[in-house]
Amino acid sequence: MIRRILATIPVMVVVALFVFSLLYIAPGDPAAVIAGDQATPADVERIRQSLGLDRPFLIRFGEWLWHILHGDLGTSIFTNLPVAAMIAQRVEPTLSLMAVTLVIAICVAVPMGVVAAWQADTLIDRAIMAFAVLGFSVPVFVVGYLLAYVFALELDWLPVQGYTQISEGLWPWFENLILPALALGCVYIALIARITRASMLEVLQQDFIRTARAKGVGQTRILFVHALKNAAVPIVTVIGIGVALLIGGAVVTETVFAIPGIGRLTVDAILRRDYPVIQGVVLMFSFLYVLVNLLIDLLYTVLDPRIRY
Amino acid sequence: MTDATITTAPELIRAAPELPDLLPPIKLRGGILGFARRHPAIAIGGALVLAMVLIAVFAPYLGTVDPTALAPTRRTREPSAAFWFGTDMLGRDIYSRVLYGARVSLTVGFSVALLASLAGLIIGLVSGFVRWSDGIIMRVMDGMMSIPPILLAIALMALTRGSVGNVIIAITIADIPRVSRLVRSVVLSLREQPYVDAAIAAGTRTPMIILRHILPNTVAPMTVQATYVCASAMIVEAILSFIGAGTPPTIPSWGNIMAEGRALWQVKPYIVFFPAVFLSVTVLAVNLLGDGLRDALDPRLAKRL
Repeated sequence: MIRRILATIPVMVVVALFVFSLLYIAPGDPAAVIAGDQATPADVERIRQSLGLDRPFLIRFGEWLWHILHGDLGTSIFTNLPVAAMIAQRVEPTLSLMAVTLVIAICVAVPMGVVAAWQADTLIDRAIMAFAVLGFSVPVFVVGYLLAYVFALELDWLPVQGYTQISEGLWPWFENLILPALALGCVYIALIARITRASMLEVLQQDFIRTARAKGVGQTRILFVHALKNAAVPIVTVIGIGVALLIGGAVVTETVFAIPGIGRLTVDAILRRDYPVIQGVVLMFSFLYVLVNLLIDLLYTVLDPRIRY
Repeated sequence: MTDATITTAPELIRAAPELPDLLPPIKLRGGILGFARRHPAIAIGGALVLAMVLIAVFAPYLGTVDPTALAPTRRTREPSAAFWFGTDMLGRDIYSRVLYGARVSLTVGFSVALLASLAGLIIGLVSGFVRWSDGIIMRVMDGMMSIPPILLAIALMALTRGSVGNVIIAITIADIPRVSRLVRSVVLSLREQPYVDAAIAAGTRTPMIILRHILPNTVAPMTVQATYVCASAMIVEAILSFIGAGTPPTIPSWGNIMAEGRALWQVKPYIVFFPAVFLSVTVLAVNLLGDGLRDALDPRLAKRL
């Protein structure tokens, strides 16, 4: 267990090293690109120094890592505010969106996959799998606009855009998040439904299911208690891997639904070529992703006691 | 040769791990129609992809006008007989822009699939064959895979000038780890096969083993993977352009057209609608093709998913 937790440290160092070396991997001169087309050579030189591109790679990396360990993600070129503070300001909407999406997606996708496996090769199964392929193919912002157009503009059931803080009430907060969460969750639902079906199909063929049936356990109980419990490990794995999709999709979803979260921060930073902010966001989300997958790995030991670390 | 060696040989073969039959031939029974009936996903996906390629290639001859021509007098016209998909905020014909946009999307999709496969193949082979490098390469790949691909592409695009070439490089870098891991897993499972052992025992050199025994077996899984990479690359390109980190606004790509329609989408939804439909249909077609190929090339995998 402790060894598994410690194993994330080298991964995080590699992530940090890779994010850091993007400055050097990128083709062309990053300092000139960030400075923009109207910049004077002096501006470019100033940015080069602030990025540390004028000093040796390893020394600069060491310094940078040291700062990160102290919670200092650098300073925005545009606003001169610390990046960590800028991210902290925007973290609530993004985490809310991701959490709501996660819950909705799991509640929708797992039953879908279970039913598809139970009804394998029938029309219901085909329909669910067709939806899954569609969910993979329609980009998140297309789903977003479609949902917003139908449920907000035409039917006027839900707010079109915007975000309400959770401190202003649970329902206003949730109401604003339903459409974005559905849009963002589409790919995720497709992914989880597919793996649930595949994993369930395998489990349903096993002897203990036949035994349960023979002793008269009801169909629902067989599917959702006996089978799902044993099919859980691959499903949970995919839920963890899919968080990467959620993170990438959140940037776009926040743009479509005008949610003032980290995604918007990123998009604004792109327009201003504010690289330290982008670097901070990438690093923070990557660490979040590593931590989520660490949690998932630890969850295995609960789901399947045969797995030990 | 003693009797003992003769009797142990078949036992060895029996004890060997099951051979992953990764490349069973697709038989063309019953002509094209028969093929289409047995593999509907390949037929439909392939036909749609082909149609999209034709549209991209022959865009200038399909009743389009210059997709970048500005006409301030006829801004934001609704779709009509003269402007099939309407016009945008600058009076440009959306039908022409969408058709030319197919060129950008397909170029990005195919290039990323090709480049990521090539790079992934090389890294996977090195990792699978050069034992001491395996640990290092896989740790680096683990790290890269921990960065959500879209964010990695955004970070790279923020450091370079927007161009189709740079978009391709950025998305390729984000996709390399997945392909490398696939190739490495194929190499590692093949290395244990008796016929590879036999080839090594017979004195075959490593380059020849790779060429004769390893490469042919990577073709099927890599083709399937490449279609998925292609589909996701087209989505990522559209996303990058949509949020302003992709191809420069002067190039008509589907993501750019939608980005320009973003401000007006509540009153002029058709600007976003048409590129969205083309993008979704194209990605769906490539995904269908991938699913079909997977089912046809690797029946064992098909049963699992």
